[in-house]
Amino acid sequence: MARHQFAILSLAAIALASSLWFLLDVLASATHRAQNFGVSAFESRFSDFPKTIQPHSVFGYLSDNSPSDPSALAEFHLTQYALAPAIVKPSVHEDLVIVNYHSKQLDMKLLVANRLRPLRGIGNGITLCRGEKR
Amino acid sequence: MTLLLCLGGIWLLGFGLVRWLFPRPIGWSLHNILLFSLAIGAGAGVASCLYFLALMLVGPSVAILGSAMGVVVAIALALGFVTKRKGIELDWAEGSEDSKVPRYLIALFVVAAALAVIMFLGAITYNPHGEEAAWSIWNLRARFLFRAGAFWRDAFSSDLGWSHTDYPLLLPGLVALCWKLSGRESTDAPIAIAFLFALGTTGVLVSALGVLRGKIHALMAGTLLLGTASFVALSAALYGDVPLSLYILATLALLCFQDRHPDDLRFSALAGLMVGFAAWTRNEGMIFAVAVIVARAFALFRFGERNKLVPQLVRLLAGLLAPLGVVIVFKLRVSGPSDLFALPASVIVKNLADVGRWIMTAEGLVFVLFTMARFLIPIILVLALYWYLVRFQVDARDRAALLTAGIALALTLATQLLFNILYAGNLAVEISTSLERILLQLWPAALLIFFLASAPLQLIAPKPQKKANKPGRRIVETR
Repeated sequence: MARHQFAILSLAAIALASSLWFLLDVLASATHRAQNFGVSAFESRFSDFPKTIQPHSVFGYLSDNSPSDPSALAEFHLTQYALAPAIVKPSVHEDLVIVNYHSKQLDMKLLVANRLRPLRGIGNGITLCRGEKR
Repeated sequence: MTLLLCLGGIWLLGFGLVRWLFPRPIGWSLHNILLFSLAIGAGAGVASCLYFLALMLVGPSVAILGSAMGVVVAIALALGFVTKRKGIELDWAEGSEDSKVPRYLIALFVVAAALAVIMFLGAITYNPHGEEAAWSIWNLRARFLFRAGAFWRDAFSSDLGWSHTDYPLLLPGLVALCWKLSGRESTDAPIAIAFLFALGTTGVLVSALGVLRGKIHALMAGTLLLGTASFVALSAALYGDVPLSLYILATLALLCFQDRHPDDLRFSALAGLMVGFAAWTRNEGMIFAVAVIVARAFALFRFGERNKLVPQLVRLLAGLLAPLGVVIVFKLRVSGPSDLFALPASVIVKNLADVGRWIMTAEGLVFVLFTMARFLIPIILVLALYWYLVRFQVDARDRAALLTAGIALALTLATQLLFNILYAGNLAVEISTSLERILLQLWPAALLIFFLASAPLQLIAPKPQKKANKPGRRIVETR
């Protein structure tokens, strides 16, 4: 009987202690979260984007992130998530191109190098540009 | 409120269906807890298939979708509550009497459940859209289905190939259905669905083991599952892995019941339906579908029950047929190309012959087995200690079911590892990001096998028997 009790209690103790330990991690993350991080924060950057995104529309996408920056791909995916049901392509060769920048001012050299004309500043580091569709 | 009504309707749909198959009077019983839990999976599967078929046939009309859902729920409820037929009553196994189950076991289970709920709520408050794979795959697809109207097929555009447009639609379809019927898009729907699937998985595990082995084993397995932090975190991540784990567990549990009640083939039919929903949840579910059919055929053949082989497999396949048909239509008519088959054969052969990839996978598997689920001590060692102290004692009538479950899980895992070896571009990244997730898909079913095979536990000393010949109560034989 003692063997069985020990088996049961050791299994339950490990499970509950591990669970409690992880819970502390979760609560610590929840209470110390950065305000400018996460899907909701990123989506709010598009809050002034034209509301009438038509289904079946296509946008190009350009970012000033370095290609080696791990957040570059995540930000592209987040842009697609925010703008669905439009399709966002990682290309500047579309009629309309979304430029996602992180500096205070949009670097015009970036637009010139990619043959983009600014169309509308959305604010929050997002500008809608006219591109050259191939 | 409308979301609650919508989720309630989906659950009632499932409950009507499973109650029609296994009717019992409404009330607090283990049988009804099992039905409640199975209903979550069954309702979600049927509703999601229905949503997809409605989209395919008549487009994204809310009126038609709402009417179709209403009719199907009404039919399921009529079947479930008006049915006169009798079924098997599933009750606690022997040894579940209150006098044999210590109170602390119930307390441990309640504490584990409370911690799991707090953990889920904490994680979801921090991250209401779920982890990256959730919003960039499942919820992105749901947004397209909900927002794109007649252009819903854009969700499977080749421009979205990075979002794995070949993944089946159970989860995004269910989320989009809730948004459509409730009339608004919010993170509440995917969160509530994730919570229900976790609840259903726990419910199926506890009630199935309650029927098969008794209250002690059931409570222990439930405590261990709810104490698996990574499992709860995976649920709060809003991935498709926990729904898949529910379908895998439900399938294997129903096949265990099938062996306990060999004459009632409804268990195999419902198991087939659950396998089909597994395939409609994730591509890994299709691997499991093949694995479980092969495993079942082998197990019945191995234990000399060949006369049961054909009827059981026929029922299993009959249950599987409808969801599998939906999966086939999706794959042929809607889904994007699978990135698996984009690799040239020469690369696949090269990967197959690369011994380093096999070694890396084996090392990764061993590492994950010792580190999985964030247990403070490797759970594999704790389970080994449990086995050493308690040992296994397999009931003869459970042999075929245990063999089925063991082979099905092993085949599913082995095939997924083989796919990684053959197709993964960066195998090291694939192993570090997906191997634990794959194991967690199988974890609830593995707990079912482990505790089903475990020997009976004695935790309370039997009360000393009253002496038969007490003074004054002596029975005197007289002539």
